[in-house]
Order: sequence, then structure tokens, then C-alpha cells
Amino acid sequence: MRVVVVEDSALLREGIVALLAENGIEVVAQAEDGPGLLRIVDGHKPDLAICDVRLPPTFTDEGIRAALEARRRHPKLAILVLSAYVEPVYTGELLAAGDSGIGYLLKERVSEVRTFVDSVKRVAGGGTALDREVVSALIADRNRSGDRTELEALTPRERETLELIAQGRTNAAIAREMVVTLGAVEKHVSNIFAKLDLPAGDDDHRRVLAVLAYLRATGGP
Amino acid sequence: MSDHGHEINLRSVTRGVAFAPSLVLLATLIVIWAATGAGYFWPMWAALGLAIPTGLWLAIRWARLRPKGATRRYAMQAGISLVLVVTDVFIWAMSGGGYFWPIFPFVGLAAALALHGLFLRPGQRSLQLRVDELTRTRSGALDVQATELRRIERDLHDGAQARLVALSMQLGRAEERLADHPDSAALVRQAREEATAAIRELRDLARGIAPPVLADRGLVAAAEALASRSTANVEVIGHLDHRLPPVVETAAYFVVAEALTNVAKHAPGASARVTVHMDGAMLVVEVADNGPGGANAAGGGLIGLKQRVEALDGRLEVHSVAREGTVVWAVLPCE
Repeated sequence: MRVVVVEDSALLREGIVALLAENGIEVVAQAEDGPGLLRIVDGHKPDLAICDVRLPPTFTDEGIRAALEARRRHPKLAILVLSAYVEPVYTGELLAAGDSGIGYLLKERVSEVRTFVDSVKRVAGGGTALDREVVSALIADRNRSGDRTELEALTPRERETLELIAQGRTNAAIAREMVVTLGAVEKHVSNIFAKLDLPAGDDDHRRVLAVLAYLRATGGP
Repeated sequence: MSDHGHEINLRSVTRGVAFAPSLVLLATLIVIWAATGAGYFWPMWAALGLAIPTGLWLAIRWARLRPKGATRRYAMQAGISLVLVVTDVFIWAMSGGGYFWPIFPFVGLAAALALHGLFLRPGQRSLQLRVDELTRTRSGALDVQATELRRIERDLHDGAQARLVALSMQLGRAEERLADHPDSAALVRQAREEATAAIRELRDLARGIAPPVLADRGLVAAAEALASRSTANVEVIGHLDHRLPPVVETAAYFVVAEALTNVAKHAPGASARVTVHMDGAMLVVEVADNGPGGANAAGGGLIGLKQRVEALDGRLEVHSVAREGTVVWAVLPCE
């Protein structure tokens, strides 16, 4: 797996590189701004770009814009955005950019080493990794919309499973997280899809998209 | 939705309605004049009759652009005097010229205006200067404060937050290496969780200053983000050529946020339209819905907004008629 890291804080960038190296993931190049990201992606053809949202020179959203541009040039490039905050607009833009290999995590998730490395591998492999705060913001929006009856129809365990699906976890990872058997997770998943009337799919990423589409669809005409 | 557009453009519509019948009436009179032999051009007197109220309306509107108080009253008198003088000159010219009698009302009105001006001085005048100065320094102070807050937010992000993230990451790596020493690992995990909590608190602090999308992309993008997260069906119409002062941006953002929260809360199922545009040096923000109306303009959230807008010398109005929806309208000077 070939990874590039784009982050303007040297402290953080080198920390991420060391952390990934300890877990057997090779970082082939580093950069500290948007143009740098495009340059190393063009030059090194990595599988995954890990990048910050706010980068020099304007420290606004050039990380997102550069990542989307890199993705446009190299549709197979997976992108994992690390951000200091959850911003639904940015996650929406990323998810709209492609049907695989997308991640958006809060920066502090790098401290949960094993989960973070899992997320990196999953995104590089074409999967999804959405921060749990992104997911809970979507669920909060959904709850405010008034038609919460469908979500209320879920049992607490199913609700927990739904959140983990939306984060992009596989059934095996969900089983580990919830300390239940794989069979129990599969049962929860099929119950959720039946109760919410979602199209079932074997593909993990399509499953995430179905759940996200459900969560993002708000009430009103 | 067709009703909806009507509500939103209420102001421009009433303006248009005021002119349209006048023009139609005038055109009709000119047709009658032409049909009856096109003799003496009497429709001009009708034109004068119609022009006077329009002139007065324009004068009052111009005067209302001034800050409330003595200056506005003075501007009002000056505007009305001007309309009267122009009317006299028109009558004089149309009645064949000759002896220039409008000089008398002109001198009279000018004397009254001068007297009013004299009355403004010196106490009123110095007071006015002081008010102008305070207005200027206050808005300057607010602007500096808003800019400072944005800078602090950015510094938190680049400085303290980045360091805390690096710290928590190192603690995470240490925790991994202590897999064989569960007691030490638990201690390190606690430290890591503390660091994560601190990061979260810093994030909440930064978000309270300005939501990231507002700081990054400006008012229209932030309004669109609010619209897309709203449970109501919201349309955003607006385009700004340049970024506004942070203090104005933030105030306008909170107007839209509060108004949309109210739509979701009090007008379930309603549609709303957010319009954002510049009128000269003024930012105009309007949030209109087609809900049940009857909003209480003195309600907690709206009062807070009004104070926020008025602190910037702006104006906030709420028009809410039962069964006709609610319009929250704010205008903010951007200088």
C-alpha cells in the first residue's frame, strides 16, 4: 500500500508517518499544502492520500479542494481527510466525489491507533470511514426532522449497529466492537435494512451509501 | 410556491404597485388628450399631481437612510422643501414663466431650513458629532473584536489543537507498546482520553466563534449549509462578489440560523427562502416562509438577534401575519 500524507504541522505529519510505519504502512511522500498534494499524487501515484482540510496559504478549505481535484485526475485514488472539526458540507462533497475509498475523520482519532490503522486500510481498499461524530450529526438532523418513527422502530442494538455501518465498518469489525458474534451482527443488519426499507447490497460501500442516503434525506416536501 | 414569491418581494411589489397605476392613469389621460384634439397639454397637471406624492415619498425614504434623531428630521425637512421648490418651479414654467414668483416660497423654505440648522447648533451639532464619532468607534471596535476572535480561532487550530493532537497520538503509540504492561497501558490510555477531551473542548470553543464553513467560505456557502441541514424545504438565493467584514458575516449568519430554526420549530412543513444581496454598501438578508405566521417579534431569539444587528447600526424587522407566513428582514451596513 502506497500512502502520501499532507499536513502543514510538521509535528503531526511526522507523527502520522511514524505511526503508519510502525503498523507496516509505507508513506511514500509528504507535503504541506494543496499544490504539494497534487504534485506528490501526480508523481507517486499512491493508493491513498491522507490530508488535512485547512492548509496554507489561506487555511480555509484547500485540503478538501485539492483532494477533490486529485480524485478527479486519478479516480482510483482513495482519500482520507483528517479534520479538526466536523463539517457536513465537506463530508457531503467528499461522498459525492466517488463511490469508493472515502474517509473523513477527526484528527484526534489518530490516537486510537488500532482503529485508525483499520480505517486507513479500509479506505485504501475502497471502503469508507466516517467519523462517529459525522454520523451522530446526521442522526441528530434526522431526529430533528420530526419523522423519527422509523429510527425509533430500531432496537438500541440495531441503532448502534446502524451507526457503525454508517461509519463504514464491516460486519466483522462491528462484531468485534459490539462484542457479539458475526451471526448476531448479520441479523441486526438485515433487520435494519428491512425496517428502514433500504435496498440491501453485498458490497460494503454501497451499504454505507444506502444508510447515509437514508440519514441525509430530511423531511419536508 | 407562487404565493411565496409574493411575500418575499412584498417591499419591491408595493413600490412597483405605487408607480404602475400612476403611469397607466397618465398614459390614459394622454390618449384622451390626443383623441380630443391635442390642444392645450393639460395632462401635465395630472402628471404634477401624481409626481408630488412620489417626490415626497422619495424624499422621506432618502431621509430615513440617516440615523434616527435630529439629523433625520433635518434631512426630512430639507427633502420636503426641495420637493416643494421643484413643484413651484414646475408650476411657474408650465404657466408660461414670467415674473419668477417661486423665489418667495424658496426664500421662505430656505430660511426655515437655516433656522432649523441654527437650532441644531451648537449643542445639537456637537452632540451629533459625538454620536457620529461613537458610532464609528463602536463599529470599529466590534469589527476589531470579530477579526481578533477569528484569529484566535485559527491560532487555536494551528497551535494548541495541533499540539494536543500530536500529544494524544504519541500517547496512543505508547499505549500500543505497553500491551504487555496492562497497568501502565491503562494509565497512558487515561492520559490519552484527557488529551482527547481537551481537543473536543477547544473545538467547541472554536465552533462558537464561527462555524468552519462560514470562516472558510463565507456567508452564502454557510447559509446553504444551514439550508441543507434544515428540516424545512429551504432555497437560498444570493451571490456576493467579495467577503464581508467578519462581524457582519457572523451577525448575518446568526440571523439566518435563528430564522431557519424558527421555521423548523413553528412552521413544520413550510418552505422558506433565504435571500442575500448587497444594496449599495448595505447587506440585506431576508428569510421568508409560507408557514402559519403570527410569530412574536419580541420572542427571546428574535430580540437577541435584533440587539446583535442594531449593535452594528443595522435594522432587523419581523413581519408575521397570521396565515401569510413570516419574513425576517435584516439590513447591515458593511463599512
